[in-house]
Amino acid sequence: MKFYKDHYDVIVIGGALAGLSAALMLADKGKDVLVLERHNLPGGIATSFVRGGIEIEAALHEMMSIGPEGNRLKVGKFLEDMGVKIDWLKVPEAYHASLPGLEVTLHPGLETFAKEVDAAVPGTYEKVLKLLNLCHTVFDSVNELSIHPMSKVQMLLKHEAFVKTAGYSTQEVIDTFDLPQKAQDLLAPYWIYVGTGFKTLPFTIFSVLMADYIGYGSYIPHKFSHEMSLKMAERAEQMGVQIEYKQHVEKILVKDGRVYGVRTARGDEIHADYVISAAYPNKVYTSMIEPMSEVPKEAIKMVNGRRLSLTAFSVIMILDKPAEELGIRDYSIFRGDTMDTEALYKDLAGLGPYRYLTCICHNYANPDATPAGTCSFSITTLPRVDGWKTVSADDYDRVKHEVAKQMIDDISKYYGVNLLDHVLEIVIETPMTVAHYTGMWNGCIYGYAHTMEDHIVARLQTAEQEKFIEGLEFAGAHQISGDGMGPAVTNGRKAAKNVLDDMKKKEAAK
Amino acid sequence: MKVKGFLKDVGGASRVTKARLHAFETASEKPETVDPIGNVAREWHPGKLDLVVKEIRTASPTAKTVRFEKAGGGKLPPFYAGQFVALDFEIDGKIVSRPYSISSAPFEARKDPGYIEITVRRSKGDGFIADFVNDGLTVGTVLKGNIGLGQFYYEPLRDAHHIMALAGGVGITPFASMAKEIANGTMDAELTILYGSVASNDIILKGELAALESDRVHVVNVLSGDEPDWTGERGFLSAELIKKYTKGDTSYFICGPQAMYKFLREEIKKLDVPARRVRFEVFGQAKDITAFAGYPVEKKDETYTITVMRGIHKDEIPAKATESLVVALERAGIRIETACRSGECGFCRTKVLSGEYYVCPENDGRRAADRDFNYVHACAAYPLSDMTIRIPIE
Repeated sequence: MKFYKDHYDVIVIGGALAGLSAALMLADKGKDVLVLERHNLPGGIATSFVRGGIEIEAALHEMMSIGPEGNRLKVGKFLEDMGVKIDWLKVPEAYHASLPGLEVTLHPGLETFAKEVDAAVPGTYEKVLKLLNLCHTVFDSVNELSIHPMSKVQMLLKHEAFVKTAGYSTQEVIDTFDLPQKAQDLLAPYWIYVGTGFKTLPFTIFSVLMADYIGYGSYIPHKFSHEMSLKMAERAEQMGVQIEYKQHVEKILVKDGRVYGVRTARGDEIHADYVISAAYPNKVYTSMIEPMSEVPKEAIKMVNGRRLSLTAFSVIMILDKPAEELGIRDYSIFRGDTMDTEALYKDLAGLGPYRYLTCICHNYANPDATPAGTCSFSITTLPRVDGWKTVSADDYDRVKHEVAKQMIDDISKYYGVNLLDHVLEIVIETPMTVAHYTGMWNGCIYGYAHTMEDHIVARLQTAEQEKFIEGLEFAGAHQISGDGMGPAVTNGRKAAKNVLDDMKKKEAAK
Repeated sequence: MKVKGFLKDVGGASRVTKARLHAFETASEKPETVDPIGNVAREWHPGKLDLVVKEIRTASPTAKTVRFEKAGGGKLPPFYAGQFVALDFEIDGKIVSRPYSISSAPFEARKDPGYIEITVRRSKGDGFIADFVNDGLTVGTVLKGNIGLGQFYYEPLRDAHHIMALAGGVGITPFASMAKEIANGTMDAELTILYGSVASNDIILKGELAALESDRVHVVNVLSGDEPDWTGERGFLSAELIKKYTKGDTSYFICGPQAMYKFLREEIKKLDVPARRVRFEVFGQAKDITAFAGYPVEKKDETYTITVMRGIHKDEIPAKATESLVVALERAGIRIETACRSGECGFCRTKVLSGEYYVCPENDGRRAADRDFNYVHACAAYPLSDMTIRIPIE
């Protein structure tokens, strides 16, 4: 029986957001694409599951880079351009910050946000707005430069703020604004979504995060992130992409420095001119390339020289009362007993108690999220892989329950309601859950940490030198734009663009 | 604008690029292949294992217990008491899969060599696999099995510390697992089993359960048949009987035949307990799909042609309107992986490219977006016209 064509232009390993974005863009240019996904549905962690008849979001808190209808940002626009029509729901607020001495709900819109910070910490409006505007200027530059690279001199003339802040950490730039600590704290909650403390997080990344989320607000798909993943997959198939589920790629086949195909766990050897891998470079260069002699030592040094970023630990509950009755008032709550991101980052290397938690109640953006009389409520922390690497299979269930209980108890105390008295369904997602369903290296969903030693600007500068095998591209959180579902789409597009550029080059050389 | 000074500011990009290249230059060139988090995930969920039959013993005059070890020995994966194993049987060259609740305890799987047991009752003519397990399996047979599936287990962060098991017939098996795990001290809960049987000689695992009774495990056998010598509880698992054995905050776990589910749904309503305290095991494949609301009975004798796409390969197979797509595929010798066979787990998620179908309302565990795009769980979907479907390559 023959299940595959003799040859494809491109094989994409992994049918999650990055892989599907790459497939869409390649199919749009008429390329013959095969997507191989190990699970039996698309999306990776951008998915949902059903428990007790109730559909539950697996991972998405909020999508950045979507933007309102008629003024879509890059991810929202790309999906529309590809003919993927998502029923986006706007998340009502930026977040509620529950921090020492602060209980403040902040809304998107740079001026609104600055006003709300000012109401909580008087006298800060001008400074906060100036900082947010700086973020926005840098954000605009990043978007433009990622499409239209230019010389350094030109860059300095046209993108001065971007150039002049690129070499500094978030804290270094924030310090120049002379803001009171409380105002700084109110600007910090999203730090967890980029997963590095402010002394090491590039200001460039902070800028993109703040300008995108605070400037334009965030969105979720009406029918959970599965709606987005499935619509992307369906559209790709409509455009001629072959997607095969339950196909686990074990080997990437290389000869004389160039890829020529893959081999699956089932034993199928499939040929293609290009391979785009969502599997981590760590896994690809240490166990997937066949033969291993095709892996140069520079590739190993590159993956060893980078630090894995965060994974996820989430307690997802369906509660048997409407949110208001339980005192849950916001879509997203960031709660910490400190907003010292360095101290919090240190904690993330352990196994709890985690002092900084993110709570999401989907019903506030999507009233149909759960049946009448119930609500969906999740508590998440994004730990580093270090602590979880020490947990054995026999200890796993105990540790997972202990950590989950600490998190529920902490939030119960905050609301003055024992959430455990209202649990209709509960699912505890751990780094191991991520590893099980997606095969992600060490369950890491955040790729490599954004740091001053692995800066997005540097990533862009050296991208060409980091191609060790011809025809092999990567798409996923481990790529230039880093973690998050929005950046996953951007990373996928970048991989597809690299393939298309290379094809053009080859075509021109003929 | 200025951050620290013109030169330092404009030199930022080259500074961070140098820093990054320096990190690579000084990094080790030794491949680091350790993925401990992935390893734990694989130890819990290794997928299908070769399981060898080690022992077959009588569990009642009509049921047998089969013990499996991993072929080649070693520990079996951890699971939660109450979960099932999906076993693949090869019959006449065709692979048919069935879920069986594991009747042994999780701690027994973690011994070296570890084992699991299933307890299967001979059918009354409608379950050829159940009969095969009772009559056709021999010690030494190797089957493929996926251990630790399903959502029917005690979750301490959700359920009451006191569990009341409402079991009927072979539905006792998940509770046998819980009872053993509690008796072993590795599950912190109290269990009261109300076990309904027709006749006293029909009580499955009677001796094993009696031996586990303690202040934490209580077994109450309830007979519905007419036996003059029976001194225990009689009748069905009525609300009244359930109330009698309920102690404070209790979670009700229900597993048994489909007729019992129908009865107990009504009885449970009379108890006035919150929804979160009631958990039903999955329903199982519908015995008679024509009896469900909305099924077009006039089509019940039809046979349709299903075009099955796997990659670029295409097959055509016949399918009866009263049998699920999974059954049609298995009959035709086309492999499709199933686990719960109750529409819950989604292992048999299938794309319908064209044609009409009916989904068993008891077993419709689909995601909303999947419904919108004509995905079905093939174990719960029945053809109502010629169809074209796409399934994964196995």
